[in-house]
Amino acid sequence: MKRNLYLEKLYNSNKPLIIYKVKDGYNLFTDFSEKIKLNKNKLNNFFKKIDKLKRPSKKKVKDIYIGFFGYRLLCGLIDVKKIKQPPITFPDGAFYKPQTIIKIRKKITIQSNLKNYQNLFKKQTFATTNILTPFKVNLNFEKYKKIFYQFSKNIKEGKTYQIKICTKYSNKSKIDPVIMFWKLMKTNAASESFMIRDKNYSIVSCSPETLIEKKGQYITTKPIAGTMRKTKKTNLTKALYFFKNNIKETKEHNMIVDMERSDLSKICKYNSVKITKLKFVEEHKHLYHYVSEIRGKLKKNITTKQIIKSMMPGGSVIGCPKISTLNLLNKQEKDNRNIFTGSFGYINSRLDMRFNIIIRSILNYKNKSEISVASGVVIDSTPKKEFNENYIKAKSLLNLF
Amino acid sequence: MIYIVDHQDSFTYNLVHLLSNFDKVYVSNYSNINYSELRKSKVIVLSPGPGEPKNYPETSSLYKKYKGKKKILGICLGFQQILYNENGKIVKQKKIFHGHQSQIDILKSSKLFKGLKSFKVGKYHSLKLKEPFKSKDIFITMRCAETKTAMAIENIKKKVYGFQFHPESFLTPNGKFIIKKILSA
Repeated sequence: MKRNLYLEKLYNSNKPLIIYKVKDGYNLFTDFSEKIKLNKNKLNNFFKKIDKLKRPSKKKVKDIYIGFFGYRLLCGLIDVKKIKQPPITFPDGAFYKPQTIIKIRKKITIQSNLKNYQNLFKKQTFATTNILTPFKVNLNFEKYKKIFYQFSKNIKEGKTYQIKICTKYSNKSKIDPVIMFWKLMKTNAASESFMIRDKNYSIVSCSPETLIEKKGQYITTKPIAGTMRKTKKTNLTKALYFFKNNIKETKEHNMIVDMERSDLSKICKYNSVKITKLKFVEEHKHLYHYVSEIRGKLKKNITTKQIIKSMMPGGSVIGCPKISTLNLLNKQEKDNRNIFTGSFGYINSRLDMRFNIIIRSILNYKNKSEISVASGVVIDSTPKKEFNENYIKAKSLLNLF
Repeated sequence: MIYIVDHQDSFTYNLVHLLSNFDKVYVSNYSNINYSELRKSKVIVLSPGPGEPKNYPETSSLYKKYKGKKKILGICLGFQQILYNENGKIVKQKKIFHGHQSQIDILKSSKLFKGLKSFKVGKYHSLKLKEPFKSKDIFITMRCAETKTAMAIENIKKKVYGFQFHPESFLTPNGKFIIKKILSA
């Protein structure tokens, strides 16, 4: 990337900043005129605000809210209760309204509603990454196995058909999210990557999973179900062959496809929900993913809230059926998921939106970094393989430290 | 109108879209039945869902109340719900096929699918009907080609039908045809 003085100043400042990967580059958002910290009580007001977005505007940077919904907030939205967990200290969700957008493509273009955006830096800070303790994982294999067999029993009883066990790696550290993000993008520029730097927290993510892409009346989701480890001997063709011929991966994937069809069908016109791409492979730094794409045409008068409620939390990272599986998970999990399996994205003034599923992410908050990962228990899973799958999912992020 | 009793499943709305090809569809949660809509409906569909029939006493009493009065179709858990109320036992399976596409055989006992031999269908069930199952008027009309597990029931006289598999799944290519047969029976 070419040197750009403004960007360098921005990176070295303490200004809140968001970066979001787009198809041919990155969008940077800053100079936030509004920051909305979300919680259960403020959610309805937020959706009311969103409905008002749809007004003609002559501003250079049109109104857009970019940010995230945390896991607990999304559970609350569909009336699933969290129990047994310590009180949450990290925000349930946060959305920002930017006045300046920087588009990094082959060229860099800057749009701003502020005349003096170039000079809006208060102070220069040079945050550096500083690791204070090594990473610890919250579930060792013995504990993992115990949960695994409990969930296997639940599957045999029909309470769930597929459920994801979450493990969390954490350490004490300070990070420079901007440097860390660009370092991650060199090796693993996954399609839904993003970074948030705010005054008291940061998130660095190489999420590969698109949960919602809404343009006009059309809505698309791209669930991932199926992971294969990458080695020197593997390639895309071999990965596709592996997934196609692996009955366990195929069944796990089929289930997610049917669940996402149903989630979309809640808000889409009859007969408009179609599988547009069935079972293809995406290649990442350390692994391959098995992916499908499903699309539908929205019913008239569907609100943003209804869309979020139908699609979130994204089913592929929870399990199936969603509600009863969430209840089983929340009964068992002792740690807060915070951002993990929440959604990051934006809603713009046309009420179009794009949201991912927050996975493969580092959350740094109060000098603590956490990386959560999950892998699925289905009837044919083995605990060793799923436990290891969790590790390979965390690997590209752990390597950043 | 068709009334779907939803057991909080993640496949229910696939069923809504499939049934909407034929008639107006009303959906509600099993614990929150809208009786004025239900009375207007010609068909009651008991949705798939987690757990086992005895977890849903509301659905059992609904079935008993409307059996013989309205056409009733049970899918997966709904299928088990019907059998459970007809003195069938619902038990765990040794081998489970969640998200599996299987071949099923249509038996001679089937009046609706007379002349047809088999379908490819999507399955998601953990539990199954314990056999032998004896009933005066309910007939097992389809079986899994591999495991021989009961996959469909018909009671033409009382207009009660059920599938252990999922006609609404993308793994069931003939789902629309299967539903049409039930609705036009």
